[in-house]
Amino acid sequence: MKTSSRILIWLSLAGVLAFLYVPLLPPLLLSIQDPATGKATLQNFGTIHSDPTLIGALANSVIIAAIVGVAAPLLGLAAAQAVRSFGMPRAIITVILLPLFIPGVSMGVSTSLFFNLTGIDPSLLTMATVQTLWALPFAFLIIMTVMSGFDTLYLEAAYTCGANRAQAFWEVELPQIASGISGAATFSVILSFNETVRTAVVQGGNNTVQTFIWSRYQQVGLTPNMHALMSIIIAVTLLLILVLVALGRERQPAG
Amino acid sequence: MSFAVKRRGLGTVALLGGPVLLCALAIVVPLVLTLMISFWERQMIGMRPGFSLASYALFFEGARFSVLKRSFWVATSSTFLMLAVAYPVAYLVTFKLPPNRTRIFLFLLSVPFLVNYVIRTFSWAYLLGRTGPINQFLQWTGLASQPIDWLLFSDFAVYLGLIAAYMPFMVYPIWLSLSAIDKRLIEASWMLGEPPFRTFLRVVLPLSLPGVFAAAIFGFVGAFGEVAVSQILGGVGYQLMGNAITSSLDVLNYPMAAAMSTVVVGCMLILLLVWLRLFDLRLFLGKMLGR
Repeated sequence: MKTSSRILIWLSLAGVLAFLYVPLLPPLLLSIQDPATGKATLQNFGTIHSDPTLIGALANSVIIAAIVGVAAPLLGLAAAQAVRSFGMPRAIITVILLPLFIPGVSMGVSTSLFFNLTGIDPSLLTMATVQTLWALPFAFLIIMTVMSGFDTLYLEAAYTCGANRAQAFWEVELPQIASGISGAATFSVILSFNETVRTAVVQGGNNTVQTFIWSRYQQVGLTPNMHALMSIIIAVTLLLILVLVALGRERQPAG
Repeated sequence: MSFAVKRRGLGTVALLGGPVLLCALAIVVPLVLTLMISFWERQMIGMRPGFSLASYALFFEGARFSVLKRSFWVATSSTFLMLAVAYPVAYLVTFKLPPNRTRIFLFLLSVPFLVNYVIRTFSWAYLLGRTGPINQFLQWTGLASQPIDWLLFSDFAVYLGLIAAYMPFMVYPIWLSLSAIDKRLIEASWMLGEPPFRTFLRVVLPLSLPGVFAAAIFGFVGAFGEVAVSQILGGVGYQLMGNAITSSLDVLNYPMAAAMSTVVVGCMLILLLVWLRLFDLRLFLGKMLGR
């Protein structure tokens, strides 16, 4: 390949990345700026913990993320195992991946109508349900990928040695795919922590950090402490991604 | 696949089938329910079971229909724009980067996608504003003598926001199908004397269509039901289907919200059925299914 065309390729790919990364910067810049004077300050972060609604929203976010981080990978694991064990992979895959193809609002409206008719009041659990359905396809795909790297001959060997299905899974397969499951869990937590549209439809009187920012924006617009909050969200998300990378390293020590 | 792997007792069926059935019900039942409610009658408070086409009639004759038409146009055109960016990216990543770099690039591509796109859209509103960095830069370089107004609260801003929100996601399916192409087919085409561009048109492009179509569905569905990008970057009164649905919810008109949501989901299901009919899921997910 000629040097000039190689440079062109790198430049265009770098351009695409720059386009995607630039929006991560403004919240950080705006959060350390005094709105009146424009000088650098940290007081926008200080005003966060004096808002009780916001603290409640933060606690809700953590609780919901924990539920989604457990539920989505377990359901994804069950579905991935079912794809291999049952004779109908196409049907299972299509249904589990369906939420990827449905706009967030429609998914939110449908689940909220469902809860409405069945008399289930909006709560943290309804929010966690909607987010679990959203995270499930991703968790499922991650676990499927890891499982495809697991040679089922090992299972047959375990059966030959007298193990039953549960033992074979627990003692032979699980250790091999465990990092994929924790990767799926981390991914689900990240998705839960960064979800607005679906959650906002079923939130009722509760708030997560994201729906809090969204409703503040709709009511009074964005204030400097909202930008501080957004920078914290971005920082936490990047931190969780680092965890994800570490888990990936563990899985593929050679790569 | 051997018999031993498929070994399953009643316990296994219950343990795996139970959660899968639960998920399937949790995904499908609300959608079916929404379809039903779209035919119900609206009342002063809440709704009443029945069979009425009132919501659909109101939807297709009023101002909401122009929202549907606009959403359809915006979603279609922005999907083509997103494909125009995502395809070259996926192509370069698959064929022009060394394998270890491919992994790093795809990872870097997914990082911003994981940060809430609502937050990223707020950032674009700041960047594109009258006093924002882009306008300041343009004036500083002398390219513009006064702030450019059409950067924010315009079609331009909405398209840019949609591309930023959904394009990265579209690279993956295209990359999946491009990387599944047997390289020998491409070499065979060269050896039979086809120039590179015709090889691309007649070998690579047709073989990558499953991924392109899947990517197109992702982009189209995202843009069609959009709420945040249109509200933040489109300005007052700029509505896409997602906004129309949420505003119906705000006035507690559930049948109307259900009817509009059903139309959106219906469009998506048609696209998905076409996809499943045209392409084999296994061809596309082959790597993950381990076949």
